[in-house]
Amino acid sequence: MRIYVSGLYSGGNPQPGVGIVRSLRQGFPDAQIVGVEYSNRVAGIHWNELDDLWIQRPWDELDLDRYADRVREALDAGGLWISGSDLEAMWLASVFPDGHPNLLAPPTGALKRIAKPAVEAHDGLPVAIPTYVSTDLPDWELHAFCRAHNWRVWLKGPYYDAARVPGWDVFMAARSALTKVWATDKLFLQAHVSGYEESVMLCAYKGELLGCVSMRKRDVTAEGKTWAGDISEVDPEFEKPLRRIVRELNWTGGGELEMVRDAAGKLWLLEMNPRFPAWVHGATIGGHNLPALLVQGATGVKARPAERQAHEFTRVVLEVPVRPEFPLPALPEPFAGAVGHSMKHPSGLPSLAERLHKADAEMIEIVEGEPSEKEADGKPHIPEMYLTDIGGMELEKVQTPEFLFLGKTAEGLFKRAADRAHRLSTNEVQVVSGYSIKTNPDERLIRLALENSFYGECISLAEAQKAIDVGFRADQIILNGPGKWWPEGMMPKERMHAVFCDSVADLDRCVAAIEAGEMSSKHVGVRIRTPNVTSRFGIPLDSPETFTKLVEAVKRLPTDSAFGIHFHMASSNIGVAGWWHLFESMLKWCKAIESLTGRTIEILDMGGGWFPDDWHSDDESKFAKAVETVRAMLPNVRQIVSEPGKAMAQPSMALAMRILEIQEHEEDYVEAVVDASIAELPMHAFQPHRILRQCGETGALQPLGRGKTHLMGRLCMEHDIVAANVSLPEGTRAGDMLIFCDAGGYDRSMSYVFGRG
Amino acid sequence: MYLEEAEARVETRPEERTQARPPLPSDRWQEFPHSAFSHHGEACCEIARQWVLAMDYAQLNGGELTSGPRWIRAKYKWGPSPWPMHWCEVVKRKVIDCGAHAALANEAFRARGLTSFPAQLVQRYSEAATEQWQGKWQEEDVSCHWLDGEHIYHEATALLVGDDEVKIWDGSAGSWVNARQQGSGYGSLIAVRIFAEGQYGGGDGLRWGERRLKPGVWNQIAG
Repeated sequence: MRIYVSGLYSGGNPQPGVGIVRSLRQGFPDAQIVGVEYSNRVAGIHWNELDDLWIQRPWDELDLDRYADRVREALDAGGLWISGSDLEAMWLASVFPDGHPNLLAPPTGALKRIAKPAVEAHDGLPVAIPTYVSTDLPDWELHAFCRAHNWRVWLKGPYYDAARVPGWDVFMAARSALTKVWATDKLFLQAHVSGYEESVMLCAYKGELLGCVSMRKRDVTAEGKTWAGDISEVDPEFEKPLRRIVRELNWTGGGELEMVRDAAGKLWLLEMNPRFPAWVHGATIGGHNLPALLVQGATGVKARPAERQAHEFTRVVLEVPVRPEFPLPALPEPFAGAVGHSMKHPSGLPSLAERLHKADAEMIEIVEGEPSEKEADGKPHIPEMYLTDIGGMELEKVQTPEFLFLGKTAEGLFKRAADRAHRLSTNEVQVVSGYSIKTNPDERLIRLALENSFYGECISLAEAQKAIDVGFRADQIILNGPGKWWPEGMMPKERMHAVFCDSVADLDRCVAAIEAGEMSSKHVGVRIRTPNVTSRFGIPLDSPETFTKLVEAVKRLPTDSAFGIHFHMASSNIGVAGWWHLFESMLKWCKAIESLTGRTIEILDMGGGWFPDDWHSDDESKFAKAVETVRAMLPNVRQIVSEPGKAMAQPSMALAMRILEIQEHEEDYVEAVVDASIAELPMHAFQPHRILRQCGETGALQPLGRGKTHLMGRLCMEHDIVAANVSLPEGTRAGDMLIFCDAGGYDRSMSYVFGRG
Repeated sequence: MYLEEAEARVETRPEERTQARPPLPSDRWQEFPHSAFSHHGEACCEIARQWVLAMDYAQLNGGELTSGPRWIRAKYKWGPSPWPMHWCEVVKRKVIDCGAHAALANEAFRARGLTSFPAQLVQRYSEAATEQWQGKWQEEDVSCHWLDGEHIYHEATALLVGDDEVKIWDGSAGSWVNARQQGSGYGSLIAVRIFAEGQYGGGDGLRWGERRLKPGVWNQIAG
C-alpha cells in the first residue's frame, strides 16, 4: 500500500501532513508513506516515519498540467492520496472533476458548498454562521458593519489569513495587504464571536461518514491555533445531520468543522476545511484514528485498531535530524535595511490561489449572508438630498478646496432630531437634543440648532459666547468639559441650564463659584468617566476609592440646584451595540450614586459621537426603550438631553476639490493629485467619505466606486493621501471637480491651515 | 460565620467518624461553611458593594451575561487573605483568597439577574505544592485549614445555565471547571459541594456535564 500525504508544513500554524503520517503509520505499520511537498524548506519532510519523499517545485513555478499527469499516474498505479492543504485539494478537485477512487479528497461540488464564509452545506447542523459581509460592498457599508459589531470584526481572505480590524485605518491597511497576498479583492468581514473553540473532524468515502470526533482546544498559540486539546465523541445531535450532509456532498477524505461555543453555549461555525486538521494525531492518541479509518474505507484493508492512550493531548517542540538528501536551503537575505527574514508561504500557496481563481472565479465567490442589496462595484448610495443641495450650487465658481454647506440636508437633520425628541417625550420625561458646538461651530448650524429647540452643548466659555451671539439664551446653554473656565471672564452672568463637573477639583471650583455668585445653573452635576472604555474625561469610577471620592463630592453640590449626570462616549468608536451596553451600565452607576448620595438625578445628559446613519436610523424603538429604561431605573429624571455629536454636523457639509494632475502607472494603478489635502480632511483615516465626481462635460454627479486610484493631496507630505483605492470614471481629467461628502463634522472643525503660504 | 468558628468545624479525625467506609478527602471539610462577606451596615461597605456590582456590569462589555467575571481575578490576585472580611475591606485588598473570589463572583452573577450558588471543591495537587502554599499562608499569618496533604479545599461559584444545569466558575483561576475531567491527577477535582436549595433535576440534583450533583452534600468526582 502506497499512500501520498501532502501538507507537511510544521511551523507555528502547521498543516496536518505530519499528523496524518503518524496516524497512518500506527494504523498501517507496513504501508509505504510518501510525503509530498512543494518546498524543501518545509520541516515536515524530515519526519522519520516517511518512507519516501516527492518534492515538487513551488506552486508559482510548477507546470500544473505536467504535474497533474504525474499525479494521475501515481493514483492509477494504486497510490492513495491524502491532501493536507485546502488549496491543493481544490486543485486536485479541478484535475479530477469526477473524482478518482484513490484520491481521498472532496469533489469540486462539495468544495463549492463549503466555501467560506457561508458554508452553505451547514444546513441542519446545530450551528449558526457569524454575520459577515463581502468587501465588495461600498466602504460606507463596510464601516457601518464594523460599527454595528462594535469593531470586533475580522477581515478574512478567501482561503487563509484573517486580520482583526479594530478601526478603519487598520481595516484599510489589512485590506490592502490581504488583497496583495491573495491577488484578489474577494475578502469578507465577519463579526467576532467570543468563546471557546472546538472542532469536529470527520472522514468519509464516497459520501459515507466513516468516523468523526470532537476536540476542544485546551491551549492555543499566540495565533489561536491548537496547542493542546481534549477528545470526545461527537454529540449524536450533531452527528446525525453531519452524516446526511456528508452524503449530500458525496464527500471523500478528511474534513474539519471549526467552531466557537459562546458563553451562552451556542455553537458558531467559522469554517469547514476540506482536509484533516493539524491536530489529527491528537485524536488518534484519543483512540480515533481517522486517517487509518479513511484508508480502510477506501481500500477495504483493515487498519490496526486505534488504542486510546489518553483523552487529552498536547504538542511539544521536537528537533529532528535533517535528511541528508534534503539539506536545509539557505536562509533568504533580509531586504537591505529591513528587519527580519521574509519566510511566509515557502511553497508559493498564494500563487496557486491566484492560478485557481483565474481558472474558476466562482470558487471564491462570497455568498452573501447579510442582506446585500447594494451594488457590488463599491459605489455608495448618495442620499437624494445631498444631490439636491450640491446640484443647486454654482460649482464652477467654487474656489477649491472649499467646504460646501448642504443647507437642505442640514435643515432636514435638525428637524428630524427635533421631531424625534418630541415624539419620545412623555408627561414625566422631556427628551431634548443638545448640539455639540465643537463638532462644527458654523453659525448656520448653531442657528438651526436654536430654531429646532436644541440646547447648546459647550466645552468652553468661548463656545458659550458664540452660542449666545447666535441667539441662545444662557438658560439654553449646557456647559461641560475640563476647559469650561476658559477664557477667563466670559462666564455667563445669567443662570445656565446645566453645568457638569469634569473632575472633583472642577466640582469644588464650581461649588465655590456658585457660592460666590460667579456662576449659576439650574442643574449642577457631574460627568462620569466610562469604566472599561478608555477615556480621559469625567470623574473616574475605576476603583472603590475614586468612587468614594465621587460620592463624597456629589454630597457637596449645592442643594438649590437640581442634580444631574452626564456621560459621553463616541458610539462610532466603540460600536452601536457597545454604546447601548455602556448606556445600561451607566444607568446602574447612576442608580448607585443616587442611593449612596441621597441626591436624586433630575437631568441625564448622554452622548455622543454618533455616526449619522446610526443616529438617524428609522428604528426609533431603541431610543424609546432607552427612555423607558431611564424612567424605570431613575424615576426622578425629568429631562434627558440627547447629544448626537457629529450625527448632526457631518452630513451638512462636503469638501469640493479639483484634480490637478493624473499620473498613470503600471497595472492600471493611478495617482491623481488634488488641490485639497489631509489638512481639510483630517478624518480621512477614521471614516470613509462618499465621493462624487462632477463630469466636466455634462455636469452630472457620479459616485466613485472602488478601483486602483489613489487621490493624493496637494501637500508635500508623504501621508497626504485623501482616499485610496477609488475608481475615477472614464474621461476624468485634470480640472474635474471631486466632492467629498460627509465632511461637515470634525473634518470641518478640525481642519487646519497648512501649505497655503 | 467567623473563622475561628469555621475552623472548629474542620474535621481533624475523619476516620473515627466514618468507620463504615474508607475516609474521603472531603471528610475533613464536612462541616466547613462557604465564605461570605460581612457588612458593617454603613456607607463604607455599601459603597464597596455597589461599586463591585456596577463595575461587574460595566466589565461585561456587551458580552453574554453568563460570561465569567474575569475582571475580578485580574484586579485581585489570588493569595492569603484574613477572615472575616467586610465588603469595605475586600475591595481595598490587592490579594484575596478563593473564598473571596468565589463570593464576589456569586454576588456579581446574582446582580446580573442570574441564579448562582456557592460551591466548595476538593482538589488534588501534590505535597510539594501544598508545602509551598503552607509557607506562603503562614508568612501572612493566615490559617492553613484548606491544606491537607496533597489535597486542598477550594471555593468556586456554580452558575445555573438551564433548568437544572450548572457550570462551575473558578474565580481564582479565571476559568470554568472542566466538567469532562477524567482521572484524578494534579489539579483535578476530587469532590464538589454546591449550596443550592430546591429539587433540581426532579430530586436527582444539578446536572454538571454528564454528572448529577446533589445539592448540599459532597459529591465525589474522582478517587
